[in-house]
Amino acid sequence: MADLKILAVDDSPTMRRIIINTLKRAGFENVIEANDGKDALAKLKVEQINFVITDWNMPEMDGLTFVTTLRSTPEYAKMPILMVTTRSVKDDILEALKAGVNNYIVKPFTPETLKEKIDQVLAG
Amino acid sequence: MTPASPMPTKLQEEIVGLAESINHIVENFKKLHNPLLESTEFVPKATEQLDKISQQTEQAAHKMLDRIEKITMREEDVINGLTKIAALADGAHASELKAQLESLTDMAGQNRDDAYQIMDALQFQDITAQQMNHAAALLEEIEAKLRMITGILQGEKSSESEPSGMPAKKERAYDPHAEFVDKQAHQKDIDSLFATKK
Repeated sequence: MADLKILAVDDSPTMRRIIINTLKRAGFENVIEANDGKDALAKLKVEQINFVITDWNMPEMDGLTFVTTLRSTPEYAKMPILMVTTRSVKDDILEALKAGVNNYIVKPFTPETLKEKIDQVLAG
Repeated sequence: MTPASPMPTKLQEEIVGLAESINHIVENFKKLHNPLLESTEFVPKATEQLDKISQQTEQAAHKMLDRIEKITMREEDVINGLTKIAALADGAHASELKAQLESLTDMAGQNRDDAYQIMDALQFQDITAQQMNHAAALLEEIEAKLRMITGILQGEKSSESEPSGMPAKKERAYDPHAEFVDKQAHQKDIDSLFATKK
């Protein structure tokens, strides 16, 4: 768990800070952040990331495009991805699933749900 | 060649009446122009105000997060300190002292957990910012339509492209259905959807 380096992608600085704090409380100390999909792709090139938590609605590159890009890149095709978003419409969730997210959390989330979903994704 | 017969008086009267009606409509359109232009100018101000609310709530949320992080760290230190003191308690009143220290440790733990709950509640800022972005985007659409109408009234040709005078739009990313409500029921539906589709 301590070795896991998580990339938290969200265009809201408040949300990023809440996610990072929640992760640290859950024992995930190694967290870096990105503002949107484009920024996240740049961070992935220079950091050894093992897990991605991403929002959906973001400027420059949205979460769905980011996930699709990762899944079509051999290097990141198996990257564990958890989507954390306000979008709770069934069609959106199916779209995210089709794009390749490993799990999905709807905002506002509880720390327990975040931890539970990370554990589920890591357990495969 | 026979000369053109004079227009019947009735028809002449009809044409004059029609011309007067058209003039009246044109006058009314002219009267509409200024209020429409004024309304168009109000829209960017309303959009700007919404953006300002988002920025200021974000700043306030960060100030609160600064404090919450400090409180939780201090409470953590208090808990650790009390636990160490409890381990050292000795002598005639040791059990009484330990019970008292445990009670204080519990209270510090509750304070820390409450502070974390306040932090979790600050997710409202992201969600309301998305709602305001949605409202701002709708206002920008209204502005574009108003500019198109005022352009037509000024004799500009109507086109599908951006109306003239429209300021550059800010890129807005938001979920139009974002809402700050308990999503546990939604989360259960999502979990079962993932369980069946995976």
